[in-house]
Amino acid sequence: MNNLPVLSYLDEFRASGPAGRLLDRLHRRPERPVRIMEVCGTHTMAISRHGIRQASPAWLRLISGPGCPVCVTSNYDIDSFIEMSLLPGVIAASFGDMLKVPGTRMGLGGARARGARVEIVYSTLDALRLARENPDCKVIFFGVGFETTAPTVAAAIAAARQSGASNFFVYSAHKLVPPALSALCRMPGLAVDAFLCPGHVSAIIGADPYRPLAERGIPCVISGFETVDILQSLNMILDQLDSGDCRVEVEYARGVRPGGNPAALEMMNSVFAPCDAGWRGLGTIPASGLTIREEFAAHDAARVFAVDASYSREPAGCICGAILTGQKIPPDCRRFARTCTPDHPVGPCMVSSEGTCAAYYQYEFQD
Amino acid sequence: MTHDTETVQMAHGSGGRLGRELVESVFSSALANNILNRLDDAACLEVQGRLAFTIDGHVVSPLFFPGGDIGRLSVTGTVNDLAVMGATPLYIALGVVIEEGLPLHTLKLITESMRATAGEAKVEVVTGDTKVVERGAADGVFITTSGIGLIPEGVSPSGRGARPGDAVILSGTLGDHGVAILSCRQGLEFDSMLKSDCAPLNSLVREMLAASVRVHAMRDPTRGGLAAALNEIAAASGVAIEIEEETLPVKPSVRAACELFGLDPLLLANEGKLVAFVPEDDAGSVLAAMRSHPLGAEAAIIGRVVDPAAGAGFSGPFRVFARTVLGGLRIIRMPVGEQLPRIC
Amino acid sequence: MCLAVPAKIIETDGQQAIVEIGGLRKQASIVLLPEAVTGDYVLLHAGFAISMIDKKEALETLLLFEELAPPGGRPGLSGPGPEDGDLGLKETPAADDE
Repeated sequence: MNNLPVLSYLDEFRASGPAGRLLDRLHRRPERPVRIMEVCGTHTMAISRHGIRQASPAWLRLISGPGCPVCVTSNYDIDSFIEMSLLPGVIAASFGDMLKVPGTRMGLGGARARGARVEIVYSTLDALRLARENPDCKVIFFGVGFETTAPTVAAAIAAARQSGASNFFVYSAHKLVPPALSALCRMPGLAVDAFLCPGHVSAIIGADPYRPLAERGIPCVISGFETVDILQSLNMILDQLDSGDCRVEVEYARGVRPGGNPAALEMMNSVFAPCDAGWRGLGTIPASGLTIREEFAAHDAARVFAVDASYSREPAGCICGAILTGQKIPPDCRRFARTCTPDHPVGPCMVSSEGTCAAYYQYEFQD
Repeated sequence: MTHDTETVQMAHGSGGRLGRELVESVFSSALANNILNRLDDAACLEVQGRLAFTIDGHVVSPLFFPGGDIGRLSVTGTVNDLAVMGATPLYIALGVVIEEGLPLHTLKLITESMRATAGEAKVEVVTGDTKVVERGAADGVFITTSGIGLIPEGVSPSGRGARPGDAVILSGTLGDHGVAILSCRQGLEFDSMLKSDCAPLNSLVREMLAASVRVHAMRDPTRGGLAAALNEIAAASGVAIEIEEETLPVKPSVRAACELFGLDPLLLANEGKLVAFVPEDDAGSVLAAMRSHPLGAEAAIIGRVVDPAAGAGFSGPFRVFARTVLGGLRIIRMPVGEQLPRIC
Repeated sequence: MCLAVPAKIIETDGQQAIVEIGGLRKQASIVLLPEAVTGDYVLLHAGFAISMIDKKEALETLLLFEELAPPGGRPGLSGPGPEDGDLGLKETPAADDE
């Protein structure tokens, strides 16, 4: 926050100098309606927090897509994991992101209040360590996240098998980004002119998986996370639309190789196989999730623990689905800021700090 | 005389011989002063003038953390609550709930830390009580402290006192305590030179009030961080506050921890910082007084109080704003719930 | 989604490494980035190095931003060719945390 450049490769990109110039470039462009969807919660937060939406020209609509893994996780997956956390002898390990997410009956925080042992971890290896330190317990890790996170979960499963940690399990609710983007493009009534693509997902998968979108005339720019990165990426997208030459471009070249991270992809693909997955708001999308491969079945919580979450249902009156597909914005929801607030969230888009509703509520919303 | 009992036992809370031994060997010996030494049921105090009176419960895990421990925290917490009201802290009452099985040595270290901190703050612990609860019914030790202080003539900072035009002055870096505690949490461990800022602020406040008795409001941004403190003052005073986020002093390792775990320095706890609302004309002299004190060396003006009606186009209940890189304003809300490390 | 922060590799031991961010040191895994060696800057996500940071690309992006910056309002780029792994910006010693 002070101006000393001491966090290398971060602070240098936070200098505000170029931001005004990049914004000017946006404003000098010819007016015409353009809808750009960002599909990364960190972009959603940055756009809200730094006031990029308000500062942008009125003809440029920035809409938030399904970029928050917490938000797209279905209630069925959340309820199933919560049921597992309540089984005797289980330690439920999760990233902090999931603790406040409400399920159909209760959230993980509620399960903890009822006696479930819930541990917040920063890394999957910490969850594996919990398993080693508690040999009499079964440690179940809630695997949520996109391609950025899935390889780290895969690495923990592989390490568990190698070290014989037979009390380590993963409930896999991972999601894959490119299939969801393709599905979005096919949704009737959804007009997206371009995608602002996620920087850290792309650090793993590279630029190629977005190519089919570009071939359909939809510019894709992989963006970094600072204000100047995002403004620059918006200009790159509009340059593409102006020239009619739609491509996959990488603004975040310092962190993303065109081919991604082959070692991470190999780790992910050796432990997980693609499967159909239910996305909140988008429904079931073919080959958009990850299931644990047969060889690692002994660590697959979904196979090992039988729980009944057939009572699952999505919260009534919540339009998270339409918000996740960019068809509505949070103030369109009757519950928003009235019966759904960060203190008492109803939908996942409010509870996750990267959720679109939370970002609106936190930084932009006015009564 | 605790020769054969190395840990605190239920019998220590029985009110019998062991209980007396615990009080004498651990508490009254370390915290000795003329009033406490009488071990009466209540302390008799002679104080003339307007009193500030406060109470604060302290629970922290771990009990010892870089830069402090629960003993130091329990004294500074109450001293600082008195100090930000402009009061000179005088006396502290102490309530200790001990979990059965706590090593006596640990309890002595905590008490010794309370003694040292009370000496630093020039306050006396004049009365107290201990209870022992069964293992599992507490987390090591819980400490409640209550305190009284004397408010000097002509001084009246309060949470309701901020006025449009006031400069907002922060006494130093944000989030040191929150991140120091985080660095001890299982699974998050990291090494840094970072210590909790846990410190009694009454001598700093004395220097500030010597520079200007017109300090309108002060608060120590503990739980909930600066975001909570600013929202509370803005609401109580009926004003709006605009801060310049780029002027907020934050140590590199605190910023690093925030990047790493997805936290916001504005929401992290502090235990040795205060934020003051001072008329613009006096801001320079108060800031200079703060900077010449070791606990205010990095003090900075971080924003100003504005009329809520002129609130930058924002309506509704929002009162605290930060200016963004792009020149707009964003809302700083009252924080919700605990800050958890996150990966997205 | 997905927070990731640039971190410098201080030492490696097999698949484990110690990384530094702003004076803070933490254990990390390099199993997903086996080519990482001491001195490299990597993106760290949930305790794993997930991508190498490309210094040349970083400088090019900064130069682009510098061209865009108004006179006097230069971005963080200071001086030409850095030699020592970082972007040639002065690092504040960790002692500032004392």
